[in-house]
Amino acid sequence: MIKIMGAALVIACTGYAGMARARKYALRPRELRSLQSALQILETEIIYGATPLPEAMEQVAARTERSIAFLFKQAGKELLSKTGCTVKEAWDRALEKFAARTILEDSDLRILRQLGNSLGMSDRQDQEKHLHLAMEQLRLEAASASEKAKTHVKLWNYLGFLTGLLLVTVFY
Amino acid sequence: MELMGTGTKEKLNSYHPVFSVLPGNLRELVAGLPLQFMDRLEEIRLRQNRPLIVTHTAGDIYLSPAGEPTRHPGNAYIVSGDDIQRVTRMVSNSSLYAIEEELKNGYITLPGGHRVGITGKAVLEAGKVKTIKYISGFNIRVSREVKGIADNILPYLLDKDGRVKHCLIISPPRCGKTTLLRDLVRLISNGKPELNYTGVNVGLVDERSELAGCYRGVPQRDIGLRTDVLDACPKAEGMMMLLRAMAPQVIATDEIGKVEDIKAMEEVVNAGVTVLSTVHGSSPEEIMRRPALKYLLGLNVIEKFIILGRSRGVGTVEDIADGTGFLFGGVDK
Repeated sequence: MIKIMGAALVIACTGYAGMARARKYALRPRELRSLQSALQILETEIIYGATPLPEAMEQVAARTERSIAFLFKQAGKELLSKTGCTVKEAWDRALEKFAARTILEDSDLRILRQLGNSLGMSDRQDQEKHLHLAMEQLRLEAASASEKAKTHVKLWNYLGFLTGLLLVTVFY
Repeated sequence: MELMGTGTKEKLNSYHPVFSVLPGNLRELVAGLPLQFMDRLEEIRLRQNRPLIVTHTAGDIYLSPAGEPTRHPGNAYIVSGDDIQRVTRMVSNSSLYAIEEELKNGYITLPGGHRVGITGKAVLEAGKVKTIKYISGFNIRVSREVKGIADNILPYLLDKDGRVKHCLIISPPRCGKTTLLRDLVRLISNGKPELNYTGVNVGLVDERSELAGCYRGVPQRDIGLRTDVLDACPKAEGMMMLLRAMAPQVIATDEIGKVEDIKAMEEVVNAGVTVLSTVHGSSPEEIMRRPALKYLLGLNVIEKFIILGRSRGVGTVEDIADGTGFLFGGVDK
């Protein structure tokens, strides 16, 4: 009896781990797309509204999905702290906190980090260029992420359970 | 008349908006200044790769890396490119793209009415300055609010019916004309029971946001209970807008000089509204040499000139002259 329960537990655990991995693949394209639309909102605020960056960040945070909003909310908060840091430092700090809780990959975060170099500190045309570049890069990442999702989601969903089964059959 | 009081804790706090645009290391340097110096602080000058200089009422000094005032440039703290970058981000609220209009004019105003002058490389478009690139220098000017300095002046500006006379404050730069105008506006707006004067509606066109120190349209300085402020509005247009919409008895602006400003003033005077303004110069004779102002004086409407100087410290009232007296050749005290 205990043996059967143990076996079931092993299969459940590996199965769950597999599904979690699959979920990550499934979510990433979606997160990348909301990140793109977040930058789109930021662009509108900067180019058409000439909204100061801290306020623009808050606007973006209020109008995007919660998982992405965290980054912009944090960035807005960092910018408003009167510590005399540069925009890049504030943005990097926000990114660091964001990295700890996002499913996005390092390559995605690198695009955002790159954006921090130019954020805020030039005229509108220049801001537009940099934002477009980042959005384009995110679009490419999103495309390859959905490609990957197609195969990997199914793969990991099965792989977890199958690994469990394998373990059980070997050690039973 | 001296504008400066003695150092108090309260005053120190009111400088905070200025210090908050400095990065931590510079803030520490400047905050270490002795209290009596702080009290007379006028400017903080930052020029990339050159010494940090602070200006007070009696001159300027360098600051050493330890924050000690020094007379020797060799011992001074040298402002780095990194410092400049950080100040740029602080004064622009992280958004250079949002202050393009201000950069064109070469300065921006901080919350509280403190003005920051900016230098660097000008970028031109169709022969006009489009923006400033490679920002390399700042002049952070401490703006003061000194209530009560206009107390002794107001009686000169009231006629026997209690109407405010058309008045022009003439002063060289950094002699306290903005401070005086702000206090005059406050008094004219609030009224003064001792003089049996009840106060009237004042329209204030604050093109450079220095007088009322508006933040998001709300005045941060005490400019009186009956004062309506048009913040960041061009003077000539603003005067007409106020005249049409706000029924002011007095319209006040800072630093007139352009032809369209004078035209608008003429319009205001003809509508039976009192004008109150300041102008750069040191005497009525001197400003007569500027064509636009000559035209204004030629209209013979300005009733009082207040002439400021620094002979006994910032904000010394050198003279209060009658407009007509001046035009007849003599300056009537």
